[in-house]
Amino acid sequence: MNGIFIDVDYSQTYKAGQRIGGDVFLQSKEEKGNRVVCTLSDGLGSGVKANVLANLTAHMAHKLSFGPMHLTNSAKIIMNTLPVCNERKISYSTFTIADVRSLEEKGIAVQLVEYDNPPSMRFSRDLPVPFEVNSIDLKREGAFKEETIRQSSFTMQEGDRLIMCTDGVMQSGMGKTFPLGWRQSGVSSFISELIGRHPEISSRELAAAITRKAYALDGYAAKDDITCAVLYVRRPRRTLVVTGPPFTKERDDLLGRKIREFDGRKIVSGGTTAQIVSRLFGAKVSVDLSCWSRDVPPASKMEGMDLVTEGMLTLSKVATALEQKIPLHNMPNDAVRRFVSILLDSDQVSFIVGTKINEAHQDPSIPVEIGIRRTIISRIRRALEQHYLKETILEYI
Amino acid sequence: MAQRKIAVKICVGTACFVQGGADLLLYEDFLEPSLLERCVIEGTGCLGGCKVQDAKSGAPFVEVDGNVHANVTVDRLRQLIKEAIDA
Repeated sequence: MNGIFIDVDYSQTYKAGQRIGGDVFLQSKEEKGNRVVCTLSDGLGSGVKANVLANLTAHMAHKLSFGPMHLTNSAKIIMNTLPVCNERKISYSTFTIADVRSLEEKGIAVQLVEYDNPPSMRFSRDLPVPFEVNSIDLKREGAFKEETIRQSSFTMQEGDRLIMCTDGVMQSGMGKTFPLGWRQSGVSSFISELIGRHPEISSRELAAAITRKAYALDGYAAKDDITCAVLYVRRPRRTLVVTGPPFTKERDDLLGRKIREFDGRKIVSGGTTAQIVSRLFGAKVSVDLSCWSRDVPPASKMEGMDLVTEGMLTLSKVATALEQKIPLHNMPNDAVRRFVSILLDSDQVSFIVGTKINEAHQDPSIPVEIGIRRTIISRIRRALEQHYLKETILEYI
Repeated sequence: MAQRKIAVKICVGTACFVQGGADLLLYEDFLEPSLLERCVIEGTGCLGGCKVQDAKSGAPFVEVDGNVHANVTVDRLRQLIKEAIDA
C-alpha cells in the first residue's frame, strides 16, 4: 500500500417484501492493491428473477473488464446472453463498471462505463465535479430499444469520491415526499451537505446514510431495491501498536525513532512500555480513572499518543473481542473498547512487539492466566486480517 | 490555611490489577468522605515493587506521600491514609 488508499463499500436495502435483491454490487482488488474494479447492476423486475439477471450481468461485466476486449463488445455479449423475461418479453439489466487504477503520485485513473443506471456522481470534497461523457450507440442486432453506453475517463485525487446508485435511490419518495422522487439533484445536495458536515466520512458510512435516507423517503417500505456504492480516494488510515519493552535496553532509542517517524495513530500497550516511551519523549503518563472495568485496567493519557493502555490483560481482551466480532456498542466503556475502535477505524495496522518477558507475570500465584505477548499479537493480527480485511505488519524489537 | 492533601497513587499495572488493585480503584465507594477530601488519588503505572523477589512485598502496591506500600487491601489503604493525615 502506498500513500493513497481506495476505500470502496456499499449499502443495500431490498424492495419491501423481498428476501433477495435485484441489485448486485461486486468489487475486486488486485493483490498488489493498485487496481480495483467495481460493478453495479440492476436486474429487470425484483426478487429472484432480478437477482439472477443482475448477478449474471455483474459477473460478466466484472470478468470481461479484466480482459482485453473493447467495452462495447463486452456490452453486446452481456446483452445477447441475458435470458428473456417471460412477462415482458425483453431481456434487460443495467450496469455500471468502474475500473480504477492507482497511478501512484499522479492520482487515480478511472474508466467508467454506464448502461442505463443513473449517472454516477463525482465529488471533490463536498463539491460535485462534472465530467465529460462519450455516448456510444451499440446498434445491436435484435435490440428492442436504443442502447446507449456512456463512457468516461478521468483522474481522481485524494479527497475525491465516486458515488454509484441504482434507480431505487433516485426514485425514492416518488409520489410521497417528491412528485418524481428524490432525483439526482436531491441526492447530490444530500451528499454535498453530508460530506460538508463530515469531511472524512468513510465509504461505508456515506453509502449507508444515502440508502437510509432513500428508505425513509419511501416510508420505510422500499418501492424498489435501493443500492448505493461509494469509492473514496484517501490516505490510508494507519495505526501503530507498540507493546512490550525491547529485548535489550540499547534498542529503546530505535523504538523511539520508529514511533516518532510513524505517520498515523499510535497506541502504546503495556505499563513498562509506556514508561519507556514516556522517558524517550519526555511526556508524562497520567492514568485516566474514568475508563476501566472489572477485567480491564484503566487507560492512560500521554501527549503524542492516541491511546495508552495496560498490556497483557487489555491485549487478550482485544483479541477475544475481535475474534468473536463483538460489536463496539456491546462493550463497556473501557480501554478495550477504545483500542478496538481505533483498530477498526484503520486500514493498516503495524505492530512493534518488544520481546522482553515481564518476570512479575510469571508468578504462579497470580489468579488469572497471563499469556505470551507474541501469541496474543498473532491472534489479533489473524482476526484483523480474516474478519475485518485489514492489512497488518509485524516487527519484533 | 488550606490543608495539605495526601498524594495517593494506586498501581494499575497488570500484576497489581489482578491481585487486588482493581478493588482499590473503587476507593470512592469505600473511603469515608472525610478521608476522600483530604487526598488526591490517582492511578500510576508499575511502581516496580512486583519485580523485587521478596516474601514480604507483594502486589498490589500503593504509594502514599512518596512511600511505596506492599500488599495493600481496602482496610490497609484506609489505615495508611489515616496515618498520613495524623502525621
